[in-house]
Amino acid sequence: MSLSEKLIYKQIYDTIIRAVTEISDDVKAILQNTLAAETNETAKSMLSSMLENLDIAKSQDKAVCQSPGYPTTYLSFGNGNIPKNLVQIITDAVGDATDKGYLRPSMVDPLTRENSGNNTGAGIPNIEYEYCPGQTYVDFIISFKGCGAELGNDIRILTPAKLGKDLSGLKRLVLETAINAGGKPCPPYGIGIGIGGQMDIAAKLSRKAISVRRWDDVNRDPQLAALEQELKDSINSLGLGSGGTGGDTAALAVKIERTHTHTAIAPVAINFHCWVARRAGIRIHDDGRTEKIL
Amino acid sequence: MNKIILSTPLHEEEMRSLHVGDVIYIKGAVYTARDLAHIKLKTLFESGEPLPKNFNGAALFHAGPVALKNQDESWRLNVIGPTTSIRMEPHADFVGQLGVRAIIGKGGMEEATLACCRKYGYVYLQAAPGCAAKLAQGIEKINDVTWFELGMPEAIWELQAFEFGPLVVGMDTHGNSIYKSLREKAIEKLNRLYPAG
Repeated sequence: MSLSEKLIYKQIYDTIIRAVTEISDDVKAILQNTLAAETNETAKSMLSSMLENLDIAKSQDKAVCQSPGYPTTYLSFGNGNIPKNLVQIITDAVGDATDKGYLRPSMVDPLTRENSGNNTGAGIPNIEYEYCPGQTYVDFIISFKGCGAELGNDIRILTPAKLGKDLSGLKRLVLETAINAGGKPCPPYGIGIGIGGQMDIAAKLSRKAISVRRWDDVNRDPQLAALEQELKDSINSLGLGSGGTGGDTAALAVKIERTHTHTAIAPVAINFHCWVARRAGIRIHDDGRTEKIL
Repeated sequence: MNKIILSTPLHEEEMRSLHVGDVIYIKGAVYTARDLAHIKLKTLFESGEPLPKNFNGAALFHAGPVALKNQDESWRLNVIGPTTSIRMEPHADFVGQLGVRAIIGKGGMEEATLACCRKYGYVYLQAAPGCAAKLAQGIEKINDVTWFELGMPEAIWELQAFEFGPLVVGMDTHGNSIYKSLREKAIEKLNRLYPAG
């Protein structure tokens, strides 16, 4: 990569600020459409507040939400084109954004609950690497998924019998999980579902599905596309609504990814993403050009 | 429609006059308290030690702000919004004993809290989730912070609200909960959509 490390730091820092002071534009558009179609008064109030909040955050250069969520980076790269100390660059950018008040210091030791003070710590930021041989660019997506949403998550190891006829067992599981989550994940949320692999693989897939895909996209796999649509419509028909206080829409998107698994099992991970879709991505080409990808 | 603005300290009769779906705003001191603050307050209370604030008539906000330090070491509020209240469900009775009159949060609470709302005369109010920049506009300033060593999110921040809201009554003193009703309806719908077995 021909860019100096300072330039890379700036790209990453700017992407972080963009992620936390706005939400990705696909989600904003869906929110606007959701408000326009909403029939429930309380839900209209919640959705109006959300859209008004986005305007205020953007115009005042403030974080959309007080919680920084959990910092995750999805990095895809080619041959030798990420700088050796990229982890430190990302860590520094998150720390600096924290010091400037864009992120509340919220990372703690899981047992002692001691706050690190600047969103650093063991395993932070979480980085998911994907090596793509021959790729002449680096894709960097940073996603700050909220953690109230984590309280609604679930993972089950289903069996062929439990998947049910026409996947009814799977569909019941997803809807039950949404009912139990209620208003905890700040609806109207996105749901990522990972199916297959083993427990850990399904879990990773579930978070990736809802973190990196545009929420207005259509799955290229027709069976999954149909399932995504059906689950979204079914969840919304439950009436839980925006804010979890009733209304037409609790789910803005359902995104499913699958991977082959063992003949005995069907691991299913269900991962909630709050409406505050704090994710942003850039592509840095080997020749130095950059472009926005999310 | 005129805004209903209630001032702290809040009174029991005022809370018992509210019903789910009502929308109010709050004026006066509001205290933030999350997981660690509740645990620490309870420990002090149970050992008869003095509490750092008087919670009689208080509005308790499940939240942790983004606060910035000024030159003179005071704090200013950047943004603040509600955290997921259900985590504080174990403290339902304790909060009532403290004299809290309103809990502000998001996502609702469950049976223990609903029973204590009726028993003690406090309500659960939902603030629009994720709306931290907007909600901060209803707060004039930060008065002080207690137990900052717990971390910025977990400390008790005393906020001075002038028109904090809109806050929707999610659980009232009459045994009604929006969350409970919605859950029941949703389960019925689920069983029609994808019958069990």
